This record gives sequence, structure tokens and C-alpha cells, in this order.
Amino acid sequence: MFKLASKAIEIAGKHGADFGDIRIVEARTQTVAMKNGELGGLDDQTTLGYGVRVLYKGAWGFASGSVMTERGVADTALKAIAIAKASRLLMAVPVRLAPEPAYTDIWQTPFLKDPFLVPVEDKLAILSRADALMRKSKKVRVTSSEMNFFREHQWHMTTEGSRIEQVLLHSGASMTATAVENGQSQLRGYPCSHGGQTLSGGWEIIEAMNLEDHAQRVGEEAAALLSAPVCPAGTRDLIISGNQMALQIHESVGHASELDRVLGYEESYAGSSFATTEKLGKFRYGSPIVNIVADATLPGGLATAGYDDDGVKAQRWHIVKEGVLSGYMTNREFCGRIGQKRSWGCSRADGYSNIPITRICNLSLMPGSSSTAELVAGIKDGVMMENNVSWSIDQKRLNFQFGCEIGWLIKNGKKGRMVKNPTYQGITPEFWGSCDAIAGPAEWRLWGVANCGKGQPGQRAMMCHGSSPARFRKVKIGVHG
Amino acid sequence: MKNIETVLKKIFKLAGRVQCEVLVDHKDWALTRFADNVISQNVASNAVNYSVRLLDDGRSAKVSFNQDSDEALKKALCSGLEILKKQKKDPALLPLPKTRPLPAGQNLYFKETAALEPAWRAERAGELARACKRAGQVACGTVENGSTELIVANSLGLLARYRDSSAAYSVTVRDRDGFGWAERTAFDADDIPFAELNETARRKAAASRNPKEAKPGRYTVVLEPQAASDLLAYLCVYGFGGQLYADGRSFACGKLGKQVLSPLLTIEDNALDGGAPGLPFDFEGQPRSRVTLIEGGVLKSPVHDRKTAKKCKTASTGHALPQPSYMGPIPLNLSVKPGRGTLADLIKGTERGVLVTQFHYTNLLKAQTVEMTGMTRNGTFMIENGRVTHPVKNFRFTQNMVEAFKNLSAVGGDAVPVGGWGLMSCPPMRLDNFNFSSSTKF
Repeated sequence: MFKLASKAIEIAGKHGADFGDIRIVEARTQTVAMKNGELGGLDDQTTLGYGVRVLYKGAWGFASGSVMTERGVADTALKAIAIAKASRLLMAVPVRLAPEPAYTDIWQTPFLKDPFLVPVEDKLAILSRADALMRKSKKVRVTSSEMNFFREHQWHMTTEGSRIEQVLLHSGASMTATAVENGQSQLRGYPCSHGGQTLSGGWEIIEAMNLEDHAQRVGEEAAALLSAPVCPAGTRDLIISGNQMALQIHESVGHASELDRVLGYEESYAGSSFATTEKLGKFRYGSPIVNIVADATLPGGLATAGYDDDGVKAQRWHIVKEGVLSGYMTNREFCGRIGQKRSWGCSRADGYSNIPITRICNLSLMPGSSSTAELVAGIKDGVMMENNVSWSIDQKRLNFQFGCEIGWLIKNGKKGRMVKNPTYQGITPEFWGSCDAIAGPAEWRLWGVANCGKGQPGQRAMMCHGSSPARFRKVKIGVHG
Repeated sequence: MKNIETVLKKIFKLAGRVQCEVLVDHKDWALTRFADNVISQNVASNAVNYSVRLLDDGRSAKVSFNQDSDEALKKALCSGLEILKKQKKDPALLPLPKTRPLPAGQNLYFKETAALEPAWRAERAGELARACKRAGQVACGTVENGSTELIVANSLGLLARYRDSSAAYSVTVRDRDGFGWAERTAFDADDIPFAELNETARRKAAASRNPKEAKPGRYTVVLEPQAASDLLAYLCVYGFGGQLYADGRSFACGKLGKQVLSPLLTIEDNALDGGAPGLPFDFEGQPRSRVTLIEGGVLKSPVHDRKTAKKCKTASTGHALPQPSYMGPIPLNLSVKPGRGTLADLIKGTERGVLVTQFHYTNLLKAQTVEMTGMTRNGTFMIENGRVTHPVKNFRFTQNMVEAFKNLSAVGGDAVPVGGWGLMSCPPMRLDNFNFSSSTKF
């Protein structure tokens, strides 16, 4: 593949590009799904193509193609150069990339068992048994379960001399039960809804989920939610557990710390950020126990790789340290704007046909020293919520509202009755500022976000967020329309 | 697409006696993105994707790929056929449909629009950016154009082809702490009023500077078309999608023929000759029908594909998504019947309310009542005694949409095409007693 790739590098050089690169990407996605006891889908998808990026006299051009010949690559590279020339028609300061050594390397996601070699009938058998167990509850009207496997083989070559080959492997699964009665429906999922839990690695990730062990409970809880009281409205203490913590980190810290957004380059679509650059190193983002760390080297992380799509080696750094804003997600184009000499390596593209943009890395709330039992014991009047079903946040990442699958009232230090439709609202720094306890390392786990959308044209990226349950004081809870 | 018939023949031959459905999607498309008054991203993509569904005696499998060499086709089809063998039979699986006469639809392909060059897009962006720079404003947005071709074919002889061109212009202008926005999508780039959109976004940004705090609570809201369409898309998809209806999860269940919403609200799904045209057949190659969803507030009919139609003992309306579909059939070409008057007239008739340019990050909370949340964005203004008095900081709404559209008190006369789930032709509207549950800091 590098021989084919070299054609684009040759053309970029011949036409005087400041920088050029090509990413050839071969991707395979397999989805196996059950719905209501029947096959919901069995899809095996493969794509092969390349994206050529050119920086010509300080202006960007990008084109993608899938004709796997030297002529095809050459035509695409020339198109990228023509587009870069048009970009110069509306340019102020030429783009300069932060330096990064040239690498020749091969990197691969570690795994134990290749999920693509596991027979489809074995996958279907697990899903089928889980599906049947969920439907044991008579009020469950809709069941769905799914496994997803993704492998991406990348060949990245730059005019600076990098030749990086990477193979990324992700595996995930989910199941949900929807109970319906009298025009009302309630959903419960495991490990979570929204496409479920995905991590980097192989079939061992699916085995560790033990889907069948949880299926009957999932169905029963969906049915039980139908007759549970609605989460009461009011200002109460809140414990967030399950994958809801991942969404809280993702939306209110992850996107807010993407430097391209902070500088206004996403204004036309997803918005900007309240976490502006003059706040770096000073702004109180949360209470002193809040430490939030980005890490492209994290085992199991969906954003874990050897290198990003700018060819920058994987790193680990703080976004929030002891409650203070301490860093951003950066790429080689923008990191110099905040005086950073080297990018943190957050530039990633969706497949072969998209230009790399700044994406959230794996981003985790570091564990505290408490436990869920202690968090509960410290609440007089509160709610514990688990697993996200709905999310919304303003375009500066300040005002948010989340809805969860399930909640439990906490009274006088004891977890009590189940409640349905739990929601909460907050303002990001005030909310993180109210965090007064975080469970310890024993309860810390990684949650995958496999469908993060950003950019125009829209791109999907995957990342993980690690956390243990955490407690927040005086939160606006139970907002209903 | 050159030689597509040859590729289809090869696929059907490789499938052998197994029923085979092929979707071919060719997208040749480019987008210029600008921010901070300069071009920030400039991209082009040309991609053909094949999706092949195989059916045999109650079993099905799907393979998708983008390479069409003989070797690639053989590898993909062999893989699909191998997967197919290893399943249990699904007695509910429908065989492939036969050819049915298809409506012609409108001509939505304009070759000049499809062929527009990056210099043209740069010039469109430049016109706004230069004006903004002179005025101390900041322009952000996108200019895009391209073409799409879709083919649905199956081994029973069905062959349906569709082609369109598209252009879209979306602009956000920042004026210190004020924001303004305007957008238009069209099949023919000549239908985009660039200067008018630029003027709207710039004027709105200047007018929304120094927003005042306003208390959350119940307000009358005047919604510009984009804001109204955002809410209506959820109402129609979650109310009139055939799968949710068949599962008993739609607010329309048991209420067809009943007055549930405001008498001012009439909506149809019409890909053929309405204000939001598109694909005249569905993703199984079945003819799209014109379906009235709501007429004078009375719930009329959901949309169906063959599967949900069978479950509901009715006929398909030709709204299948690519199969198998978890979501099921949904309306994608909605036209809201215009009322009377302009946006200015709606404002004039409002004693106290909030004018909303756009909603941001809307999401569903409860499917049965279409309870939603989201933020206002890019120009939110207080209306007092029939006129816009001042900008206000953005609100979050948390609102049941069935109730919201019961409280529809006026529909404007000028519908414009708005992009979203599909395409919607939507006028401005006024809703009473709309719930803003909190506000933000800007």
C-alpha cells in the first residue's frame, strides 16, 4: 500500500506543497443483531479508499477517492491541490503545523481472540438466548440485541517522511428491552443503550459482558419501570453511575476542551466553548477532587492508537487537574495558538473519505477514595441515576440536561424505591464544582462512546471515558415537560 | 455511474438462485467550510457504495462494499452466501418485491449545480467574510454542492434509478456577544438567495448583542421555520413512523381520525410534487405515495413499508428505509400547509412572547408524548406588545410536543425548504404556553 501512497506524496512534493499526506484505509464492520426474537440484521461491510490532504502555501485542500490505482491516487492528489489553491482566495495567516518527528512504525490494538473468526452462528446463539430471557417478562414488547466488530487497517504516509501502519480493532455489544403498557413505554439496557458498550480489543470483550446473565433482569426492570413513580422534581443530591458518567464527561468536558471549538472553528455547527484560552491554568472547572485525564495510550480505549492522523505519537495529559482547567484537545494546526510547541495528538478522521479534525481523546474522571455505599450514606435526600437515554447541551457547553434509564431515591443514607424518567439539569462549572465524592479504583471502569458526531461534513469518532460513581450536591432534578 | 448494469448482472449471477437486492449509492460532493472570516476546511469526496441483501427461504444476510472489481464482488458475495447458510429461518421475513410502476417525480438534477468548482464556493464564502470583516463581525459557515445517484435493483427484475443535485449555504455570524444565523438548501444553486441570507444573519447578529436575562417559564413562542421544523420532525417521525405505530409506542395509536392537535396544523409527506420533493420510490424500489399525516389537527395515517403494513393489515405507502431497518419507515418529505401572514405578522399578533431563530441539540425524552429538550440559539428575542424589544439569553425548553402543537395559535403563509431528517417545507409558527425550563449564561 505504501507504494500506492507514495504517488500522492510525489505529486504533493512536485507541486510545491508545504505539507502533504495520504491515509489509505481498509475498514471492515460486522453487525449481528436480533430484534424481537428474529434476526434484526446481519451486515458485513468493507470499504477501501484513501484521503489526500495538502497544505499549499498555507492553505488546506482535501480530496478522497477509492480507485486503487496510481492514476486514481494521482487524480485525487491533484484535486486536493486545486482545492487548496481555492482556499487561498480566503485566507489570512498561512497555516503552519507544529513539528513532530517522522516515524516508521507498525502499531496494532492488542487482543486475545479475533472476533471476525468467531462463527456468526455462535454470535447469533448468544444474542438469541439473551433475547429470549429479556422477553420472559410479559410486558416487554420490543427487544433488541446486537454485536458490532470493527477493524481498520491504516497506512499513513507524509511528505515529512512518516510511514505509519496501524490496525485498530474494536468489539462491542448491547441489549435493550422496551416494556409497553397503556401507551407508556420504558427502556432498560445492558451494559447500556445507545449502541451499547464498545472497547478496543477482541472477542474477549464480548465474553466478559456475560450478556445472558443480565438479560432476564433487564427485561424485568423495564417492566418494573412502568409502574414505578416518576422521578420527583426538586433540588437534590445526585449520584451518577453507569455510562451516564461517561456522557457527562463527554459532553461537558470533552467537547468543551476541543481547541478548534474553543477558537471558534466549529461555531457554524456544534458551537464553541465557554472554556476559552485565557482561562487555561486558572479557571475553576470543578471541585479540587476533580481530576480529568486524556489518554491515547489507555488499554481498551476506543481512541487508543500508536499515532493520531497527524502522525503524532500517543500521549497522556490532564484536562482538569485538581479542579482547574489545565489542557485542551489539540492538533498540529492549532496547538501553537496557545503556545504549545507540540500537539497532544487529537487529530482523527472518520474512514478514508474525511479530513482529520480535532477529536476528543479517551477522557476519564480519575477515581477518588470513596465507595458507592459511602456516597449513598452521605445523602439525606437524593437520587441515584444510571445509564443515559437522552442528552442535550448548549453550544458553549454550559447548560445541559440529561435523562437516564433508571433512578433510585435515596433517603437518609439509604437507597430506596426505583423511579422512572429521571432527568437532571446543570451549568457545567457549577455542576463539577458540586462534586464532593468519587468512588475509588475498585469501581472505576471504562465506557465506550462509539458514535460521537462532529464537523461538517459530519464525522463519527470513537473514544472511551473511564469513571467510578460520583456524588454531586444540590442538583436540579426531575425536569419534565 | 458507468457500467452499473454490468456490475448488477455480475452480482445477480454470483448470487445464483438466492434472491438478491442491491442498493447502489454514488455521491460526488464537495464542501467549503469557513470560520473566523477565512476558509478553514475545503474537502471533496467521490464515493460509490454497494449494499447487497441476500434472501433464501426465510434467511437473510447483507454485505456492503465500495470496490467493484470481479475479485471484490466475488469475495463479498461469497462471504454473504456463507453467512446466509448459518441462520435459523425467520417465518416473518418477506420475499423481495416485484416491479411496480413508479411515479416520475420532479426533475431535481441540475448539472451546473453538480459541477460547481471550489473557486465558486470560495467566492460565496468570501462575499460574506469580507463584509463581516469590514463591520467587525465574524463569519462562519459552509457552502456545499454535489450530486447523488441511487439505484435500487433486485433479482426479480426491479430497477429504480434516481439522481439529484444539491447545494446548501449555511451561515452563522458573530457580532461580539451576538449571534445570527441563516440557511437554505436547494436542488438548484440558483434558488439560494445568498445576499438575503447574508443580510439576515448579519442583521440578527447585530440585533442580538447584549442579551438580557429572562426568567424561564411558560411563554408564547414565535418560531422561525427552522425552529418549527426541528420540533415537527420529531412529532412526525415518532408519531407517524410505521414501526413505532405497529409497536404501540406512538401517540397516534388508537387516535387516528381524532382531533388531537390544533385545527391549524395540516402536514403531508409528499416526495412527488410537494414543497419538499425527493426520491419517488423507497429503498425497496416501491412507489412513494402521498400520505396525509395530520389534517386540521386530526391524526390521519402513519407511513408504512411492506413489513409494518402487513403487521397493521394495510398497504405499504412506499416509505421503506434500507432493510433491515431498526427504525422502520419514517416520513422524510414533509410539507406543512401554510397559513396566512408573514413572520412579522405573527410577531405583531403576540402580546408577550419569545422569538426563536433556531433550536440547538434537540433530543427526545419520551417517545409516547414526544417530550423533548433542547436549547435556543443564534438569535432569541423578547416580544412585547407586538414588537421585538430586546435580545434575551438562550433558554432550554423541556416540552411535550403533542401538547405544544395542541397550542398552535398561528401558522405563517411563507413556507421555505428546511433540511433535517429529510426535507421539510415549513412556515413560521406561533405556539402558546411553551415551557422554557431553564436558561444559560449567554
